[in-house]
Amino acid sequence: MPHEEIKLSRKDLMSVESPGRYVGGEKNQIIKEEVLQQLRETGTCREVRTAFCFPDIYEIGMSNLALQILYKILNSVDYSSCERVFSPWVDMDKLMREKGIPLFSLETRSPLYEFDVIAFTLGYEMAFTNVLQMLDLGRVPLRSSDRKDDDPIVVAGGPVTFNIEPVADFFDAVFIGEGEEVDLEFTRKIKEYKDGGKKGRKELLKELSKIEGVYVPSLYEPQFIDGKFAGFKASDGCPEIIRKRIITDLDNVDYPTAPVVPNNSIIHDRAYLELFRGCIRGCRFCQAGYITRPVREKSRDVLCSQGIALERTTGYDELGMLSLSTSDYTDLGKLTDGLLTAFEGRHTSLSLPSLRIDNFALDLMEKASMTRKSGLTFAPEAGTQRLRDVINKNITEEDIFGALKLAFKGGWSTVKLYFMLGLPTETDEDVEGIAVLAKKIEDLYYDTFREMGVKPRRPEITVSTSMFIPKPFTAFQWEQQNAKEDFLRKQAMLFGLIKKSRNIRYIWHDVDTSCWEGVLARGDRRLCDVIEEGYRSGLYFDAWDDRFDYAKWTSILEGHGLSWEMFARGYDTEDHLPWENLDIGVTTKFLKLERERAYKEQTTPNCREKCAGCGASCFKTGVCYETR
Amino acid sequence: MRQDERALEMTRQQHQTQYMMRTRFKRTGATSFVGHLDLMKIFERAARRAGLPLLYSQGYNPRPMLVFALPLSVGTDTTGDYVDIAMSVPVDPEEFTEKMAPELPEGLEIMSARSIGEPKKSIMSLVTAASYAFDAKDITRAALEVWKMESVEVEKKAKGGKIRTADIKPLMIKILETSTPDHLEMLVYAGSEKNLRPDVFLKALTVHASYPEDEASECAVTRTELYTGEYPDIVAIDVFEEIM
Repeated sequence: MPHEEIKLSRKDLMSVESPGRYVGGEKNQIIKEEVLQQLRETGTCREVRTAFCFPDIYEIGMSNLALQILYKILNSVDYSSCERVFSPWVDMDKLMREKGIPLFSLETRSPLYEFDVIAFTLGYEMAFTNVLQMLDLGRVPLRSSDRKDDDPIVVAGGPVTFNIEPVADFFDAVFIGEGEEVDLEFTRKIKEYKDGGKKGRKELLKELSKIEGVYVPSLYEPQFIDGKFAGFKASDGCPEIIRKRIITDLDNVDYPTAPVVPNNSIIHDRAYLELFRGCIRGCRFCQAGYITRPVREKSRDVLCSQGIALERTTGYDELGMLSLSTSDYTDLGKLTDGLLTAFEGRHTSLSLPSLRIDNFALDLMEKASMTRKSGLTFAPEAGTQRLRDVINKNITEEDIFGALKLAFKGGWSTVKLYFMLGLPTETDEDVEGIAVLAKKIEDLYYDTFREMGVKPRRPEITVSTSMFIPKPFTAFQWEQQNAKEDFLRKQAMLFGLIKKSRNIRYIWHDVDTSCWEGVLARGDRRLCDVIEEGYRSGLYFDAWDDRFDYAKWTSILEGHGLSWEMFARGYDTEDHLPWENLDIGVTTKFLKLERERAYKEQTTPNCREKCAGCGASCFKTGVCYETR
Repeated sequence: MRQDERALEMTRQQHQTQYMMRTRFKRTGATSFVGHLDLMKIFERAARRAGLPLLYSQGYNPRPMLVFALPLSVGTDTTGDYVDIAMSVPVDPEEFTEKMAPELPEGLEIMSARSIGEPKKSIMSLVTAASYAFDAKDITRAALEVWKMESVEVEKKAKGGKIRTADIKPLMIKILETSTPDHLEMLVYAGSEKNLRPDVFLKALTVHASYPEDEASECAVTRTELYTGEYPDIVAIDVFEEIM
């Protein structure tokens, strides 16, 4: 088949919103000339071609660090070439279907079906349907079982793969854990397959399953007893358990210091410096905290030189520090001092999300010229100390008030507070506690000014609640999720308590979305049919509130003899779980122990205070081996 | 006031010395599909990557000063547009062009640059006319037909969503090139006082010369030059600098 280059007409581009999404051509984009030349001459090439797909629009995908990291790595070796593909928004989707234009890559404008590998990064479950949209528009068979020897190999990576079962049928292989090394090992195997003329897809998949961290869903048959998941039957010669991959030494892994700089504005328009992976905190609801263990830091010298390079190669005037908990980086002060010195006179600011607010942090924010307008953010997650102990969120009212008093004196007047509704053991008293805490903060604001003898302007206090969703590989993976009615009642109750205050604003997440996410998060392979039917009936871009249709999803789910309750129910700790064939290092025994401690309202010290023996030390690196 | 105007105004008030680099550029391809503010950011980031000494406004939220002569609509190419970029110290124009060239994304190119010190009038207030090229099937015939009309009424959306009609004939100055059926060049009034947007002109062709809407929306529009002075005594903006 000759190579095709998809050209959109001026008229087509001008008829859709933000046409800049579909044209590529950004600074630092990588086009391998030798690949393009071979394609034009022969219709194919020697290199393995990967289409890196992000199942949402350009503006969101281009803000994703995983994309930039793996794009660079897959273009760094001579046998591989990687291009970017994003979900076309509804207007462009419609146009492409009407005119029969296949989904194409931004770099060489090749249709998706021409690629050897189609790699999705999955950051949230609500993007599942967009995977199907992209495959469909790219003319690639949706299901692994329908693909022939010549068809692309469709793979996925990212945090959602820690339970990939609801979409397992659509992927040929899935990467569990961090991708930098495994992606190249995989690509080398595909290179052999391509060199051999692409024969024997089944054997290839079997081969792939032998790579550590690669899960080939078709080789694991889920069993069901009485409508309940009852474990997997692994094919002969496949590992029973797939252990996640991690990068042992983050200092010596390739990092994109010259990322693609978009021409049009994106969601997070700044350069990113990743400080460390993992989190020492151990919040019991937090999947990210568990699946990324153990904590591994990059050294200050490496970060400093990467930060300087990033600022020079991108031209961004903002450098964002990325990690699960910025304040936990050892020597954060020295790192930011080093960077700020290097940026002297260049009008570059640092952004430090997820800081624990204290004296040091306030000082740092001032120096980093982070604007006061953006306000201070706290995530107490629960309204009472009791419930904060249950979830192991080691933050006390004294911590919050102490920090806020300093902040108010320093001129801050905007505070955002994040909470979750429906946490295990939650009572109405805990929900009320949220309003009480917000009220105390309002009082503290006025008291602080009274002490100073200054007339204050009005504070802006925002209370935001999301819904607790039990996630795989957390201490709460067996918990019952609150029903829709419970969530709505709690939201209404809280709204009633807050609405009288002039200075406190209450915003809440959509309940329906959280209920559906609850199904997907702990779903099993029976959901594949549900998701495909949903997509076929026009449901995609579910992550967009105005596109999400819970009623329709529920009716499709029920049409397949399934229900919300079947997945959102409380599980027995001896029940089989759809992610039981994966191993994150942290043991089930530890998760059970953490669950028991939660019920006893006991906290667990963080990794640097005292090792809790979670099991992640099996990776022989990181915080587990730091000298304390 | 536009964002770039505001930044300029601020530095004036703050008595910072500006070493303005009047930059003539062209854009085609991918960068033609971004909006005005994004184009500004593209130039700003390119200059930062190039390590050029940008002049920043002072105060709470310092911004570099890039002032475009006339905003470009999304989808419009240009072969003759101008942006003034303020430097904090004198920079050799050749060095400026050399450093910027590799930093601009595909489709953007600096054609020439000239140090103009501190301009007495902002570049925006200089613009009085613009020439555009239209490439589309049989466009010349339709344009000539409209050109012969005494008045050319077009519906325009005014502020607040109200629709009013306006006569655009007085905004059309001259047809410059009619020798081929599919390529038209035209001189129109442009700038803050009187301005004819190319899409409005194309709309007039569909209304008054039964030009097919399909062709109009496929039409490639290129701004070819910006002028200053009072017609007929107009000169291209970079020529104007030479005379000064």
